[in-house]
Amino acid sequence: MSQLVPEVLAKQDELHSYLEGAFAGQRLERDANGESILWLKGSDLLGTLECIRSDERLQMDRLSDLTVYDNVDGVDGAERFVAVYQLYSMKRHLRLRLKVLVAEDQDVPSVTGIWSAANWLEREAFDMFGVRFSGHPDLRRLLMDERFVGHPLRKEYGLEDRQPFPDSLPVRIAERRSEGQHS
Amino acid sequence: MTDQSPKLVEPKPQGQARQNLADFYNPQVLINLGPSHPAMHGTLRVMCRVNGETIEDSTCEIGYLHRAIEKLGENRTYHQWIVYTDRLNYCSALANNIAYVMTVEDLLKIKVTDRCMWIRVICMELARIIDHIICVAINALDMGALTCFWYLYEWREEAYTIIEAMCGMRLTTSYARIGGMSHDLPAEFEAMMARFIKGLPKAIDDVEQLLTTNRIWIDRTKNVGTLTKEQALDFGVTGPCLRASGVDHDLRRDRPYYSYPELDFEIPIGLHGDVYDRYLVRLEEMRQSLKILKQCMKKLPGGPLWVDDRRVRIPEKKDVYEKMEVLIHHFKIFMEGIDVPPGEAYNAIEAPNGELAYYIVSRGGPKAWRIKIKSPSLFNFQSFETSVRGAKIPDAIAVLGSLNIIAGELDR
Repeated sequence: MSQLVPEVLAKQDELHSYLEGAFAGQRLERDANGESILWLKGSDLLGTLECIRSDERLQMDRLSDLTVYDNVDGVDGAERFVAVYQLYSMKRHLRLRLKVLVAEDQDVPSVTGIWSAANWLEREAFDMFGVRFSGHPDLRRLLMDERFVGHPLRKEYGLEDRQPFPDSLPVRIAERRSEGQHS
Repeated sequence: MTDQSPKLVEPKPQGQARQNLADFYNPQVLINLGPSHPAMHGTLRVMCRVNGETIEDSTCEIGYLHRAIEKLGENRTYHQWIVYTDRLNYCSALANNIAYVMTVEDLLKIKVTDRCMWIRVICMELARIIDHIICVAINALDMGALTCFWYLYEWREEAYTIIEAMCGMRLTTSYARIGGMSHDLPAEFEAMMARFIKGLPKAIDDVEQLLTTNRIWIDRTKNVGTLTKEQALDFGVTGPCLRASGVDHDLRRDRPYYSYPELDFEIPIGLHGDVYDRYLVRLEEMRQSLKILKQCMKKLPGGPLWVDDRRVRIPEKKDVYEKMEVLIHHFKIFMEGIDVPPGEAYNAIEAPNGELAYYIVSRGGPKAWRIKIKSPSLFNFQSFETSVRGAKIPDAIAVLGSLNIIAGELDR
C-alpha cells in the first residue's frame, strides 16, 4: 500500500491507461506505488521528452531527479546501465519515470538544454558511474576529486577502496555557454 | 615649510593610488570562499570572479562532505541504513528518517497504523519548524542580527527537548522504523507540546517585529539573490525557495500523503523570489506548522503503533527476554534483515527544504540494489551561481543562508 492518498493513486492509474494508448508497443511498467515507467531508446530521448512536455494530458514540465543505476546482473535488459529520469507535472501533479538502457561505451543525450537542473545531476551520474552525456556543457566530476580513479557506485568498486587526497585542487571558474540562455 | 609644498604635489603617491584602484576594479580578481569558512554553513566552496566587490561570475565546488551514503545503502540492510538518513539533513533528521522508511514500506506494500501515521506527521512538522528556525536565525546572524538568533534558538532547544523525550536523541534521531516507530510518544508529550505551541508564536512575532520592517534588514535582503519563477523551475528548486519565487506548489496539498488532506493549513507564497520573500515564507510556514501541530494533538488517535506484519514487526523487548521464538525472530530481523521483494519506488515528501525523495531499486533480499537520495539542497545550491551574479560578496552570504544549504544532504 502506498502512503499517498487514494485520489493521487487514481490519477496515476488514469495516466497509465493514457500512456498505454499513446506509447503502444513500447515497454511500459509500473512500480510499487503505481507510477508509470516508460522505457526508451537513447536516440529517442530528446524527441520523446519534447512530446511529453507539450502533451496536454501529461505536461511533464519539471525534472525531479536524474540518476543512473548499475544493471550488471542484466535483470532490466542486456545493457550495462540504466539512466532514470523522474519527471513531474507542475500543472497536473503527476509523476512519470523514463528509463534508458545505456551500454558501457555509449553516450546518452544530455537534457541540460531543457532543464538547467540536469547539469549537476548528469555530472554526478558521470562521476559515480562513468556514463557520458553528449552535449553537456561541462562534463566533469561533481563530488569526487578530479584525481580520483574509477567510478565508485559501479558494483565492481569495493566499499573499502578509499583514495584519500591530502590537499584540494584549486577551483576554476566553469566555462559558460552563450549568456542568457536560460534567462 | 618651503621644502614641503612641492612634495605634496609629487606625482608618485597619486599614481600609486590610481594603480591600487585599478587593481581593485580588475575584473579578473578571483576570491575563494570556503570550504572552511564560518559563513559558509558547512563545507561549501565557491570561487568568485569579482570586479571591485561585485561578483561577475562564480563556480561552486561541492563534495567536501561526501561520505558515500548511497554506496553504503547497497552494503547495509534496510534497517542499518536508517541511521545514515539522520546524517543527510541533520537539521531535520526526523523528516529524513520518515521519508526513507516510507519508501521501504512502499516496496513492502505496508500501510502503517493510524497512530503511527499521525505521529509521523507531528514529527515532520516539528522538523519543519526547527529547520526554518535554523535557517531564519542563522540568516539573520550572518547579517549581524544576533538577537533574533537567541529568541528563536530558545525554542529550538525546547523542540529538541521534546524530540529527546520522544526517541532519546536530539540531533541524530533515528526515530522511524520500517512499519512503526522505535518508541511510542512519552507520557508528558502533550504537556510539552502545549508549552511549545503556546510559546513559539511569541518568539516568531518578536523576530518579525525586529526584522520585517527593519530598514537595515530590508536593504540587505530586498532584491538580493532574486530567482524568477522561470529560473526556479528551470533549476528544479523546491520548497520555500520555490514558493518565495511565486510558484504555488506544495506536495502536502498537491500530492498529499498520510493525513494531510484532513488538516487545515495554508501555503504562503512570495512574489519576488529574493532573500526577503524567502524569510517571510519561512516565518509564515512556521506558523502554519504550529497550526498543523495543534490539530494533530487534537486528532492523534490511540491504538497500536506497529503494523501487524511479521516481516517487519520488531518484537517488544520484554518478550525478547522471555520467549525463545521471539528472541530468534528479533535476531533474524537485525542480523539477516528484512526480505524486500524486487521492485522499485520513488517516494517524495515536502521536507523543510523542499522535495526530499528516496528512489530505491530492489532486486530482492535484505539490501537495496540502488538508493538514490533526491536532496533539495543540491537543486537549490545549483541556482546559487545564477542568483549571485551581479551581487556583492556580503550579499552572497545572505543568499547562501536563505537557500538553507545543508552540506550533509548536498554531498550525501
